Amino acid sequence: MAALYRSGSLLLLVLSLTALPAAAAKPEFKIEIRNHLFEPSELVVPANTKIKLIVYNRDSTAEEFESYELNREKVVMGNRKAVIFIGPLKPGTYPFFGEFHPNTAQGIIIAE
Amino acid sequence: MVRRAAGLQSGLFCLLVMGIGSVARADGPVVDKVYDPYVQPLEREIELRGIVQNDSNATRDEIQLYQLGVGRSWSDKWWTEAYFIGKQVGDGGFALQAFELEAKWQMTEQGEYWADWGLLFELERERQVDIFELSTRLLVVKEWGRWVTTANVGVNYEWGDDIVKEWKTSLAVQGRYRLSRAIEPALELYVGQNHAGIGPVLTGEFRPGIGKKLNWEFGVIIGVDGNSPDQTWRGLIEYEF
Repeated sequence: MAALYRSGSLLLLVLSLTALPAAAAKPEFKIEIRNHLFEPSELVVPANTKIKLIVYNRDSTAEEFESYELNREKVVMGNRKAVIFIGPLKPGTYPFFGEFHPNTAQGIIIAE
Repeated sequence: MVRRAAGLQSGLFCLLVMGIGSVARADGPVVDKVYDPYVQPLEREIELRGIVQNDSNATRDEIQLYQLGVGRSWSDKWWTEAYFIGKQVGDGGFALQAFELEAKWQMTEQGEYWADWGLLFELERERQVDIFELSTRLLVVKEWGRWVTTANVGVNYEWGDDIVKEWKTSLAVQGRYRLSRAIEPALELYVGQNHAGIGPVLTGEFRPGIGKKLNWEFGVIIGVDGNSPDQTWRGLIEYEF
């Protein structure tokens, strides 16, 4: 019972800490999906800084922003937007693509 | 203030892994998959997972447990899955043992905070005896460059006419290296009553077509004390579409 009480207390502490502000305002960047293409398809972001990427899907169908290199995948419903937090990234290039239209929806993030 | 908050969360993550791990003791099969907290809209899945337990103690030897699940997301926050659970002991026949319903809630956006958080709720009903089990697991993921640490901290309650009411706790931790999409090596730790084990696991993903994914996991968990099964082999295959 003591173990249970201890576990429960820790869980409550965890949940309360989730609400803490975890980072200062992050630099924001925007990408649009239009006709199954990313615009811009090349985005330069600061290295070693966490960024907030807002993806606007201007198409009527869903698309999935995906990148193994960035360790991110996020479905963006048609005519909606999605927020993706990325990084901090080491200097370099990080490709991404649209899972539902991989032949056309391709892009790259450059951290420098 | 920001750094202090991040430090608090960092310390708490370590406390969860070390503190609860030292007290968690639950009965029943402990080795399972380690859940991440992420949910994608429009996702559907068929899943088969199983464990095969071997031990020098005959009462814990040659136990096989399989779960067939069908799941779908309802938004970018909620996921549900239903499972059929079957069991075979030794040369005895395979039998459908239980049903389970599962709901996952993604609480934070990936990468927004120091770690990513979610909750998993499970309700299991035994088929031939009057036993229910309700579980809640806290799901935590922290990225360390190409390393990803995932922790599941569970609190369970069992009740029914055929069981003594009981609270249980459990802990599962996975450290995974993101080597490539096709294959990622990992180390997993499980702690519960009558089971404390650690072992290597391989995971990976294939793309059979646009919008489709095949995820697999395979590994063996080695018991670290006399109360734990010598080996628990575990495997999983998920088809997302």
